[in-house]
Amino acid sequence: MTSEVVTSETASVNADTARTFNSDRWLGVAFVAPIVIVMGLLVFGPVLVTLWDSLHRIDPMRPGTPFIGVQNYRNLMSDANVLHAWLNTMAYVAFAVILETVGGLAAAILLNKISWGRRWLLAAVVLPWALPPVVNAIVWLWIYNPSYGLLNGILQSTGLIGSYHVWFNDRTTALLLVALVHVWRMLPLSAVILLAALQSIPAELYQAARLDGAGPFRSFSKITLPLISGGLAIALSQSTVFAFNLFDEAWILNGSSLDTRPVLVQVYMSAFQDLRFSYGMALSVLVMFASLLISLVYVLRVYRETRYD
Amino acid sequence: MKRKMLVAAVAAIVLCATLPVGAQVAAPLAGQTVTVLLPPWATLPKDMTDRFTKQTGIKLSLQTLGWDEIRTKIITASIAGSPPADVTEIDWSWVGQFGSSGWYEPLNATVDAATTKDLPATAIFTYDKKLIGIPYNNDFRLLIFNRQHLSAAGIAQPPKTLAELLADAKAIKDKGAVKFPIALPLSATEGTATAWYLLTKAFGGDLFDNKLKPLFTSPDSAGYKALAWEIDALKAGLIDPASTGLKDVEVQELFKNGQASFDVAGWAGNLSVYTDPSKSKVATVAEGALMPTLSGKTRTFGLPEAVGIPAASTHKEAAEVFVRWFVAPETQTESYTALGNLPTRTSVLKSLDDSGKLASGKALLAQAAVVEPLFKQGTPAWYPQFSSAVSTAINQAAKGQLTVDAAIKQIAAQAAEAQEQ
Repeated sequence: MTSEVVTSETASVNADTARTFNSDRWLGVAFVAPIVIVMGLLVFGPVLVTLWDSLHRIDPMRPGTPFIGVQNYRNLMSDANVLHAWLNTMAYVAFAVILETVGGLAAAILLNKISWGRRWLLAAVVLPWALPPVVNAIVWLWIYNPSYGLLNGILQSTGLIGSYHVWFNDRTTALLLVALVHVWRMLPLSAVILLAALQSIPAELYQAARLDGAGPFRSFSKITLPLISGGLAIALSQSTVFAFNLFDEAWILNGSSLDTRPVLVQVYMSAFQDLRFSYGMALSVLVMFASLLISLVYVLRVYRETRYD
Repeated sequence: MKRKMLVAAVAAIVLCATLPVGAQVAAPLAGQTVTVLLPPWATLPKDMTDRFTKQTGIKLSLQTLGWDEIRTKIITASIAGSPPADVTEIDWSWVGQFGSSGWYEPLNATVDAATTKDLPATAIFTYDKKLIGIPYNNDFRLLIFNRQHLSAAGIAQPPKTLAELLADAKAIKDKGAVKFPIALPLSATEGTATAWYLLTKAFGGDLFDNKLKPLFTSPDSAGYKALAWEIDALKAGLIDPASTGLKDVEVQELFKNGQASFDVAGWAGNLSVYTDPSKSKVATVAEGALMPTLSGKTRTFGLPEAVGIPAASTHKEAAEVFVRWFVAPETQTESYTALGNLPTRTSVLKSLDDSGKLASGKALLAQAAVVEPLFKQGTPAWYPQFSSAVSTAINQAAKGQLTVDAAIKQIAAQAAEAQEQ
């Protein structure tokens, strides 16, 4: 008798549990479904289509779209313009990651220390990021203009240069100037990410460190850096990805000029100027893998999950 | 009875479903809106477009984009199967690519034989016997100079040879009339490439032979000498070093502001703009002259522009009405006066010259008489890739990153690569 009651009660509980589990599961699916659908349609789907198309010859000037395997990728390896664009892009990534991370951290530390007026200062810091990239680049185009630009005007009036300088005639200077415009726009994002990470560090840790005789540098290296490593990895990743995707600044400031041409401009020229669509797709796939690979390094080597409980 | 009512109802539904289609086929052109995508120098003033709408009932939606950008818009829309506009610009240099891609509606039936005869440039816009664009802007190149600067340097006549051009520029610079007398774009844009093509012709040569093999690779070839001439002029301080960042339209602003003495690859139609006091500071002193050459016997080539109707357009009939109006003699005359677009109709050119309205008419007509095509065989599909290689290499050479020899080799290598594809 008892075992029958237990069995029926257990069965009833199991049935309730199963119903709850099933409804929870479907609720979870319902919440996740929209983003999965959007990501599938707008991100993963196009990536797969691009990958597939890059293995074909897609050229509107020629009939058909025959399968050519990795021929596009082989041709990319020997294309002098593509190699030049890769070198430029690597320069942009190096400049951008270093300057945005160091500058962003410095800005975040400053903002973290300020209590009065922090909101206004944060708004001012974020302003360059809020500007559309093309607007940003055009403003800097005027600043860099050899004839009437502010840069030449200030340098000449202070006696640092004797006559107006054409800044984009030197390749290294041109790369640096384009990178600076990009950094000016993206540094606020790094600052905001790192500020959030800094604000999550309990103040007691610093107090305890001071009591133990730790100076500012030791506090920074032993407390701050390890505990913001998660935010740092995110900031590094976003800097890298955005630097790989640099387009607007280079295009507005120096057009298709080879000495500042990043790889995305090369993608654009291959696809939309030369009408070699699958060639451009293959290059964009390589860009995607390159930025993913470097981001993976950050995630594996820098990211640490931090808990304070 | 019920069965009869059912049959009648079904028939009525079918009839109603077909009505909208029938109505579409019979829809008049009046009331339709035609979108027109053109570069800044072709964007018509409002009074002209209002007149068109009044005459035809067709509304116009004008979109203006820079020449370099307009091509991108056409390509991205066309590859997606949607029309960039109902009527768009077609440049001579796009004919090979756009013709082979089949993106434009053949317009052979849009113009009659008499119009075709009056528009000699239609041959350039014919691909595989299909006329894909009707020419509206008769661009070719000649020398435009500032008479005041020449007089200040004691020079009575414009140069006829390239040596005289250099010498005159040096004299003007030495007199202090202007710092950089020669206006020539050196950025990685189409204007840089076309200027080099012109100078190649001026040095007595051509870019390619009949089999499209490069003729510019040898140091004693015209193309090689042309590039060396540009770099030497830059190094001699006759061309502004900032030209490495300037497009042709920006270099023209220098001339309009009196900051340059010679617009070497001057657009024929620009004379009307340069001589308009409301648009130019050198209106009373800008003049046209025959393009100087090595031998003294002038040469030039044509870069006409046309309007075409994308195959994906949904207002083809209305678009054809616009195209016919756009190239009509009256419109071409007014477009020249208002915007500087040199008419493509021979009859209109003659009429303007007879009435004294063609700025530097004598020089213009004399230069027009010797206009050659850049590619006798028609613009090849690989031209845009080749042109990009040219402007990139010239830009690098101008910045000192490549020698003339290295730049020429780079151009030749990329021309070969472009032809192979």
